[in-house]
Formats: sequence, C-alpha cells, structure tokens
Amino acid sequence: MMLFLLLLPALIMFVMSLYKNDKAKRILSFTSFAILLPMIKLFLLPKPYHIWGDYLIADGLNTYILLVSSIVGIGVTLALLTLDKHVKVSPNAYRRFYRFFAIFWIGLMFSILSNNMGIYWIGLELATLSTVYMIKTNHSSSAHKEAWNYMIVGAIAISLVLFGIILIYASAKPILGEDAMSFNLLLAHAKDIKSPFLFEIGFAIVSVGMFVKMGFFPMNLWLANIERASFYPVAALFSGILESAVIVGFFRFSKIAMEVNYDHLFIFIFTYTLLTIFIVSFLIFRAKDFMRLFSLSGIEHMALIALFWVSGGTFAALLHFGAHAFLKPALFLSTGVLESNGKYKIAGALKGYKGKKGTMFWFLVSLFLLAIISLPPSPMFFSELYGFGAMIAIAKKSDHLLAMIGAILFLLILLSVIFYRFVAIYQSMKYEGEKNEKRVYPSELFSLVIFALSLMALLLPITFDYLKGIS
Amino acid sequence: MIDFLIGLFLATLIISLFTTRLYGLLLWYSLNSLTLGLLALFIGHELDDMAMLITGIVTILIKTIGIPYILKNLSQKFHFVRQINPEIKVQYAIMLIPAILVFTFYLSEPITQMINENNNYIAISISSLFLSLLLMMEHKNIAPKIIGFLSMENALFLLGITATDGMPMLVEFGIFLDLLMAIVVMNLLFHNEEAKV
Repeated sequence: MMLFLLLLPALIMFVMSLYKNDKAKRILSFTSFAILLPMIKLFLLPKPYHIWGDYLIADGLNTYILLVSSIVGIGVTLALLTLDKHVKVSPNAYRRFYRFFAIFWIGLMFSILSNNMGIYWIGLELATLSTVYMIKTNHSSSAHKEAWNYMIVGAIAISLVLFGIILIYASAKPILGEDAMSFNLLLAHAKDIKSPFLFEIGFAIVSVGMFVKMGFFPMNLWLANIERASFYPVAALFSGILESAVIVGFFRFSKIAMEVNYDHLFIFIFTYTLLTIFIVSFLIFRAKDFMRLFSLSGIEHMALIALFWVSGGTFAALLHFGAHAFLKPALFLSTGVLESNGKYKIAGALKGYKGKKGTMFWFLVSLFLLAIISLPPSPMFFSELYGFGAMIAIAKKSDHLLAMIGAILFLLILLSVIFYRFVAIYQSMKYEGEKNEKRVYPSELFSLVIFALSLMALLLPITFDYLKGIS
Repeated sequence: MIDFLIGLFLATLIISLFTTRLYGLLLWYSLNSLTLGLLALFIGHELDDMAMLITGIVTILIKTIGIPYILKNLSQKFHFVRQINPEIKVQYAIMLIPAILVFTFYLSEPITQMINENNNYIAISISSLFLSLLLMMEHKNIAPKIIGFLSMENALFLLGITATDGMPMLVEFGIFLDLLMAIVVMNLLFHNEEAKV
C-alpha cells in the first residue's frame, strides 16, 4: 500500500500524459504534491520499515533522500508548467517529456528505497534510459547528438556498475547464498567475506561507474555538455533526483567497503575526489555559461559529499547533500528565466526584472548563488565545517595528521578559486551588461520559494538532530 | 559442451568485430546470444537450476530472435547505413584483439584464483566485455554502437552465469525489462517526425 501511494503521483503523471489535453499539465503539477502525504507517514513509521519484503526497506538514510528528491520533483513539475513560455516545444514532445519523467521518477524511487543491489541497478538503468528521451525533447541537432552520447556513455557507466555488482555478489555468495544481493545482510556479514579482494575490485568498479555518471574525473564535461544541450528541467532532474539515487548507492556500497577494508576505501575515494575537485575548479574558472557553471559546481559538491562520507562525516555529507539537492535544481530552473533574453549571456542576467515577482526572483537567485559558494548562513557552510572537522578527526587516529591538514589547505585553495569565480559572475550578472526585460511566471517563483523554504528547514535543530541520528 | 559453447560465444563476438555489413553484424549478435542462451540452458541443467533454465529460454527468445528482428525492422524503417566499416583497420585489429585477450587473462588472474570453478569462463567474459567496448569504439555509426552495447550486456550476463552460478531471478528479469526499454528509447530516438516543432 505504501509503495502504491509513493508511486501514485508518477503513475497519474504517466496516465495523464497519454491524454491530448492542454489542461492536463496544470493538474499534474498539483498531483506531484500528493507524494508528501506518504512521505510524512514514512517519516513517522518506526525504522527500518519493510515496504516490499526485504527488497525495499525504508531507513533513516533513504527516507531523508527520498524526501529531498520528492521536493525536487514537486519543484520541477511546477517549473515545467511554463517550459513552453521560455523554449520552443511541441505539445506532443511536452506530453512525452511528462511520460518519461514519470518513468524516471518510478525508477529512481525503486533505486533509492532498494535494499537489493539488483533492484537498485534496475531502477537506475530505467531512469538512465528515460532521461535519454527527455534530453531529446529539445529538437536541436546538438541535443540529438548529446542524447546518443548520454545513451552510450550512460550505458557504459551503468554496465560498469552491474559488472561490479556481479563481482560483489560473487564474493559474498559462498556465505550468504542468494541473499548476497541484500545491502543490509552484506553489511552485517562484511567481515566474513572470504575473498575481500574480489569484493574490493567489485566496489572499485561500481564506484567508477557511479563516478562517471556523476561526472567525476576523467568525465568532467560530458554531463555539462548534455545539460547545456537539453532543456533546463532535465538538468534540474539530473542534479536533484538522479544524483540522489546514485549517491545513495555509493553510501550503501561504501558502508560495506568500510567494514571490509577502511584504509583502501579511504585512499581510493580521497585521491579520486581530490583529483576531481582539482580539475573541476579550473573548469569552473573557465565556464562561460550558466548550465556548465552549475553543472561543474554540482560535480564539485558531489565529490565533497563522497569525501565527507568516507571520512566518517555522515552528518556533514548528508547536510551537504540536502543543500546541493535543493540549490542546484533551483538554479537550473532559474536559468530558464536568466537566459530568456540572449542565450548564454551572464552579464546583465540579474537585471531587468520588474514588479514584486521580478524583485523576489532576482533576490532569491542571488541568495542561491551566494549559498552554493558556502557563504554563511548557507547549510553548505556548516556542512563543510563539519566535513573538514571529520577529516581532521579521522587523521588524528592515524599518523597522517599533517598530510591531512595539507590536503585540506589544498582543498580550500581550490574552493577559493571557485568562490572567486562565482563572486565575479554574480557581479557581472548584477552590474554589467545591458538591461533587458525578463518575465517571471508565478509557478517558477513558487518552485523557487519551495526550494528556499526547504533550505531553511535544513538549518532547523530538528533536521540537525535527525541527520545526526543517521549512522 | 560448455567449453565449446563458450568458445563459440567468443568467436562470434570476434567475428562481429570484423564485420562490415549491418545485417551480418545482426546475425553474429544473434548467434552470440544463441550461444549465451544455450550456455545458460546447459549450466542450468547441470546445476539443476530452474531459474537459469527459464533465463536461458527467455534469452533465446528475446536476444536471439526478438532484438535482432526489431533492429532489422528499425534499420529498414529509418534507412540505416548498411555499409559499416570499422575505424580500426583489419591488420591492426588482428593484433589488438589477441592482445586484449591475453591482457584480460593476465588481469583477471587474481579474480579467477578466488573462484574455484569455471575460472577460465570469467576471464573470457571479462575479455568479451572489453571486446564489446572495442566494437562500440571502432564504429562511427549508431547501429553498430547499439550492437556493442547489447554485446556488453551479453558479456555481463555471461559473467553473471559463470561467476555466480546465476543471479537471482528477479534481477535477471529486471535486466531484460531494461533491455526492452532500451529498444523502445532507441526507436524514439530514431523517430524524426517530431523534429518539426
């Protein structure tokens, strides 16, 4: 029953998209709110709650991530109402977008809630494939090329994940039998795995597959190019929902890997994420349009989340994740307005807004822009403080405290490059360029307000307590 | 018999790397899937595993008959280029393919040591994975890239059968479902009717 209620908004969306009625989309944006009811119920239920046997289990971690991605889903459906006002899209393509969005949502819900590696993979694959068509909704030749690009690179990434899952399954099957697919049983018996090397190879391959999907080194620009070529809600879905599902898988797999051999895991992830942030910070420095800028900044945040998580900073990672998942979709959705006059122009993007709606829009976008570079009181500021604290705490237990302090300083230098670039961009948006009038629609503003309120909710003591309770 | 089939699996994949015609490639993919299906049937029979027998039959039905048939129809509908010349010249490919095989056998040695039975099969399935990637890389056209992706799925399937004695039934059916979804999405991608906004 709970599963049905959770899937209901997506199912309604799928069915409604089959009707050729323009008013249908108005109903759709409100049906997405229906997901909040089962979500509240899920929060109140004792954890772990078995939604579908041992296959789908809700615990503290995935309930939080599901809530975050549901709010993003609501925000995106609201912003989708005015997609045709900003870009050229045929009614047929519009309906297909909704249809594939529904499939995407269903797939990711299965992924986020799954306690089974196989179901996790199936959900992720379903979402990947449905995204291909969402990219194709834009009928430009570059979007067509990037849709194929996504299909092929995404398929390779997802195949790597499956490859790793098979190896992990093979390593644990002698002790667990067919239950070796369950995350919770794998975690409980991680120390008994007879061939840890096989598990670690499997984990490394799964991680690389996931990192490719999130745009880590060496695939830093492929996601940015795809997001540039597709319509802006696709980018919001990528950063808010798809990456949530990928990172929840990373959390689960790395939790088991921590039990198998913590040192190997830490060195692998530490090197990988540091390398990614190093490259991404300079790519951000050279970014010349909003989509690429936000996309690259998203990669930086995902790398930080992975780094904090493996350093034992669960709270920091989850807080950073929440902030990222609300800020990035909000900014991606606002590019629809920011780029409405003169494509890709950064200079003057925050000028030319009239009335209360306009003023509120540019004010919110300014806040979001300053929040992603961790200016207090952004949740990112606190998460980074806690995250670096966790890194120091983990180094204290080893003999590498100085090396860790050096690494953190290096990281701070890279983050300051990003900081500098964002401040320069903000100034250019506000004080340079020509003043062109831009129109803001109520539904877009409403979705931004939802994101802003959710961000504020992240800073509440009750949220802090909940996140600290997740181990 | 299993050794023979697994050899045939690899052979069909290697031949598909040299194919210059689209329909030929479809035929080799179909045979590749057929050997995979038969392998699942034989191994399932040996282990007395009902789930694997069902998977074998479904593999033959979907991958040997269904997918090549759909792809052939798509290629006729959307007029694919049927002359598909690999970007890597034959003389280099002849050197590259054995090198990949030797490399993967060497690379997978630590893994194969940990799995008692069928350890050569695992090395072969990992090398098939690399060969499928090569198939994707050596062509510029979309159709052979799709076949490369599908062959990669086959290689992973083989790995699942040999390394773990079969994945759980639910997961295998999920993978089939995703494969069918992939075909639907590809069909939509080829559709250009909507291009007129």
